[in-house]
Amino acid sequence: MLDKQLVYDVLTAALATGGDLAEIFMENTVRDSIVMTNGQIEKANWGVDYGLGLRIISGISAVYAYTNNTSRDSLLKLAKDAAEAVKASLKDDPSIKSVITLDRREWQHFRDEVQIPISKIDKSNIAVKLRIASDAAFQYDPLVTQTSNMFTSVTQDVLIVNSNGVWAEDQRVNTRVFNESVASQGNEKQSGTQGPGAKAGFEFLDNLDMGAIGRSTAKTAVTMLKADLCPSGRMPVIIDNGFGGVIFHEACGHPLEATGVSKGASVFTGKLGEVIATPIVTAVDDGTLPGVWGSLNIDDEGAPTRRNVLIENGVLKSYLIDYLGGLKMGMPSTGSGRRQSYRFAPTSRMTNTYILPGKDKPEDIIANTEYGLYAKQMGGGSVDPSKGDFNFAVLEGYMIRGGKIAEPVRGATLIGKGHEVLMDIDMVGDNFEPAQGVCGSISGAIPADVGQPMLRVKEMTVGGRK
Amino acid sequence: MTFTEFKQELFAKAKDKGFTDYEIYFAGNNSFSVRVFDQEISEYKSTVSQGVGFRGTFGGKMGYASSEKMDASIIEMMLENAAANAGIIEDEAVEKLYPGDESYPEVVTFNPALDDVTAEEKIKMAMEMETYAKSLDPRVKMADFCTIGSQESEVAIANSYGLDLNKKLNLASAVLIARVEEDGSNKSAMEIWTGRDFADFDYKAHAQKAVDKALSNLGAKPIPSGAYPIIFDNRTARDLFSVFSGIFMAENGQKGFSLLNKNRVGEVIAAPHITLRDDGVCDLSLGSFSFDAEGVATKQKAIIENGELKTLLYNLKSAEKDGVKSTGNAAKASIGGAITTSTTNYYLVPSETSFDELISGVENGVLITDMAGLHSGVNPVSGDFSVSADGFLIENGKKTKPVEQITIAGNFFDVLKNITAVGGDLKFHSTGHGGVGMPSIVVDGIRVSGL
Repeated sequence: MLDKQLVYDVLTAALATGGDLAEIFMENTVRDSIVMTNGQIEKANWGVDYGLGLRIISGISAVYAYTNNTSRDSLLKLAKDAAEAVKASLKDDPSIKSVITLDRREWQHFRDEVQIPISKIDKSNIAVKLRIASDAAFQYDPLVTQTSNMFTSVTQDVLIVNSNGVWAEDQRVNTRVFNESVASQGNEKQSGTQGPGAKAGFEFLDNLDMGAIGRSTAKTAVTMLKADLCPSGRMPVIIDNGFGGVIFHEACGHPLEATGVSKGASVFTGKLGEVIATPIVTAVDDGTLPGVWGSLNIDDEGAPTRRNVLIENGVLKSYLIDYLGGLKMGMPSTGSGRRQSYRFAPTSRMTNTYILPGKDKPEDIIANTEYGLYAKQMGGGSVDPSKGDFNFAVLEGYMIRGGKIAEPVRGATLIGKGHEVLMDIDMVGDNFEPAQGVCGSISGAIPADVGQPMLRVKEMTVGGRK
Repeated sequence: MTFTEFKQELFAKAKDKGFTDYEIYFAGNNSFSVRVFDQEISEYKSTVSQGVGFRGTFGGKMGYASSEKMDASIIEMMLENAAANAGIIEDEAVEKLYPGDESYPEVVTFNPALDDVTAEEKIKMAMEMETYAKSLDPRVKMADFCTIGSQESEVAIANSYGLDLNKKLNLASAVLIARVEEDGSNKSAMEIWTGRDFADFDYKAHAQKAVDKALSNLGAKPIPSGAYPIIFDNRTARDLFSVFSGIFMAENGQKGFSLLNKNRVGEVIAAPHITLRDDGVCDLSLGSFSFDAEGVATKQKAIIENGELKTLLYNLKSAEKDGVKSTGNAAKASIGGAITTSTTNYYLVPSETSFDELISGVENGVLITDMAGLHSGVNPVSGDFSVSADGFLIENGKKTKPVEQITIAGNFFDVLKNITAVGGDLKFHSTGHGGVGMPSIVVDGIRVSGL
């Protein structure tokens, strides 16, 4: 993507005032999106994101600069200005100490395996797939009044080089369909959503049962339309598999990121080796799974991704660490440096974050619960990592009465403190399932998988409207 | 390649390719920010970016493409994809380009003096703000995300009907999160300032506000579940009204994604003392602008006046569907984004009542000062919301104990009808393009779940 001599010259200029590490992240990203509303293609977009981000680390300070103009003059000016900023941030008189070891390793090339690139597909083939889901939703029940089916595919080519000898190129391809059905009656509207995605090209859509997805979103919407308001209060909560994993992502994954841990702004700071969950909980962050939505060949700092065991039988084993976070914590990177694009400096983030399956049968978990809430499908949520407070919405919920799934309920929100909930998980099912999401944090929005088997939390605050 | 050169070549090739009309949208941005932590610069960021969006009519339908790469090599690909995108559009309502209005409102959104503040001065401001925040109270554990920034942006639209508009704005900003600790209780409070002149920024007052707010939350506890009169302060009221602003977009109603549509104009949907406005140009907001994303002049209008729904918000396409004129509310989420609708400067008209008078008017209730989960805990169609909240108990007309770990649940359409009092403390928040402003409000009929 960039001439080797120019890369060398930019890094040299960047380190001219005494920085410790200079890093280039350059990308050329092609985005395709198609939006179908009520069975008609309404929007279709194509666009190119293009630019270069330069980071200079000096001590534990970082200077970050980016531009869309990658001409030689523009990049050398960018590097020179950034180097001046490094000088301003150095407290002592800088002695030039940086060494550039650009030739230490060979140039590495990675790319996602894609069978059918989106650029080779007539866009009408995508419309056909979306329509299957929309038609199936409308046919499911006359109460379904609207559908929205969106296709997105992103092909990101990156070049990552740093003065420590990283020199790598990667191509990342992420494709997703997001489906929503709305059921209405009078002024009442409820919706059901599903958004499967993968690291793949058009073959991902080819292998999806779009009809089943349409029917499933319609079923959730219709069920919730007929549902009563959820009661509020403290009660046992059973969170099912798939997107239910958002609880762990929010309540535990974010607070394990170096961003908060490194400055003591996380509830899990200093807890390595300690029991932070019940012994039936084991969790991993695994960026190496082939073809999976949140996977990466290398992270956005050029480090190979890994399978990081975060919690093993209740004991905290690892944080999620990027290079700079690692410097602050005195620990190595865990291959967790990620960013949305060249517009963001990388920071510690998740990839595919899962609670691993346990031994309980889902039907036993339900049968063992006298009264409580069964959260079959979760919506999004957020967390304050310093306090551990989280909240998230239940998209499809049911009351449990006498060990049986009873009436559907809507409008529930689960709130609590992540570290407390981890200690309150008393049953873990064997029905693991992942789901795809888009995770937002200080380095932007990135694809991330969540996943878990069915879990029971012995008591949680349920916010409802009754 | 300059913007003008790129535009000329793009337009010439678009014509050759068979586009019957076409438009280019340019957005450029320069920004600077510095964040300090423990008297070290933890991030110094300097950015330059630009990009172009293209749209044009091909075979009777509008096709889109965009690029941040502005060189001749990309033009062919942009046009090819724009034509292919036009080819699959099935929506029968035709999207049209706009030749322009006769006149546009005057707006000043650029302060050249902002450029005179150097990087060194901004670094010093951030350092001093951090030191000052930590000196205010021994319980202050850290001053986090202590950031001073500035940005400058430019937008231009030109099309084959001769439309040729541009605007420029700049902004200064400051952020601080005060984190405090006492007896194992951790609290934090974020304070954000935006302005157009650093002379208006007082880092001491800013730090004081963040620290006071965080300290006042220490020792917070949940309260018993029940229905309480609720005061949303001007920040949380703003969050609530922002997240439901989509219900007023005509295009949402036309597609069945809002319960409001043109047939409901004239209906009483709010309490009789409620007037909700959307003004493109508003002195109190930093985000005024004279033309929208389609080049239509922005306007002043009441969405709700004395409780009655007066108009929905329109772009050209949704206006044509309803047989009305665009209200100047077209928007683009990004340079390549399709035309949608959004608010400009959107605000609830304040009363003369002070915040303290609002509190004393509520004998016993809850003041909400923070909400979380607004992106997930709301149903933008039905108006239902259930979000986690922090705040204070109001007892005997006084703000007393801090409250945390509660959820508040209700319905936005009910909130509009159940606002019993509006404060005089209207405050806008703006990140440059438009803004949202709310005074504090008192609302009945909200369900609180806690203990």
